Amino acid sequence: MSLERWQQILREITGVPGVRGALIVSAEDGLVVAESAMEHVATSDVAALAAALVVRARQTAHVAHGAPPRSVHLAASGGVLLAMAGPDPLWLVALADSRAELGRLRVLLGDFAVSLA
Amino acid sequence: MTDPPTVSPTRPQGLAFLELGERLRQRGQLEAAAMVATAGLAHYPALADAHDLLGRIRADQGEDAGAIAAWHAALECDQGHVGALKGLAFVAFRARDFSAAERYLELAVGESPHDPSLLAALDRVRATQPAATPDAAPALADLSSGLLLFDAQGMRLTGGVGPGTSADTADAASAEGAGLAREASRVTRLLGLGEWQYLLVEGTEFRFAVLPIADGATLLVSRPGTTPSGRLLAMASRAGIAARHWLERLT
Repeated sequence: MSLERWQQILREITGVPGVRGALIVSAEDGLVVAESAMEHVATSDVAALAAALVVRARQTAHVAHGAPPRSVHLAASGGVLLAMAGPDPLWLVALADSRAELGRLRVLLGDFAVSLA
Repeated sequence: MTDPPTVSPTRPQGLAFLELGERLRQRGQLEAAAMVATAGLAHYPALADAHDLLGRIRADQGEDAGAIAAWHAALECDQGHVGALKGLAFVAFRARDFSAAERYLELAVGESPHDPSLLAALDRVRATQPAATPDAAPALADLSSGLLLFDAQGMRLTGGVGPGTSADTADAASAEGAGLAREASRVTRLLGLGEWQYLLVEGTEFRFAVLPIADGATLLVSRPGTTPSGRLLAMASRAGIAARHWLERLT
């Protein structure tokens, strides 16, 4: 898939009301692979933190269930971080505020994540 | 009418004892069936089907504790043994522990997703559960509960990660879970997201929620992938209340 198509996917995700930004990260090293504009936060920070969370979630899932996760959803009082596994080692990540329609966002991320290949 | 089958408890021939034991059970000859199953297990102690047979016999005898022990033994041999999971669900349902029955049936459906009898049983249990036990306290102190409470040092306080799993697995999951909880707290703080409320991790065949319970204590609620995410979060919320009460009694 082309970088242009990746950017189109990220634009569609950030078009969902409440989404502050979206990016594609490498979970191996926490680096940004592709990004959309992110409000009030550095995309490199989001990428590094999302990757660290994914690695921890993967370790816990492996110990408890012997299998890797395909999504990680962190909910907080001021917003959410959603990450969906794409082709290894890529993860599609969105940062959203509390107003975002989470069901819609999860479906969208899930559909796009598998099409990143 | 044919003669009853000859029972030779000390020398089961291959795995034919499974069929013989089941036939005896169905005829109501429970003592003879138990002898056949027990003798078979002496030769095949790692055979999940044999433990499952003994579980069914014990359940028919009204010995629920023996049935549960047999089915847990079956799960130790084969973590996804559908017969054992169905049996445990049946005993739980009979004891009106509907949440446990639901949990075992969910696991069975995960192993055999197209079995209409399992799906119907799961629907029946789910339909029964809200009216019968609106405030049922989750069984925290049970390795098979799928409820795991641990402290900030990654030490297990109580619970486990689900049926057929060991204390060692629960201890290892506690250690990893504490690291995951620390990471969740760090991410929300550094991204200015406020206090973290829960973390939902989903795989193809599992989902688990991790949520902070009190200072330093975290709860991990684990369910099969067949459990809807919203339902898991509702369970986690109820289990969180039970975990806080558990901690209060501890201190």
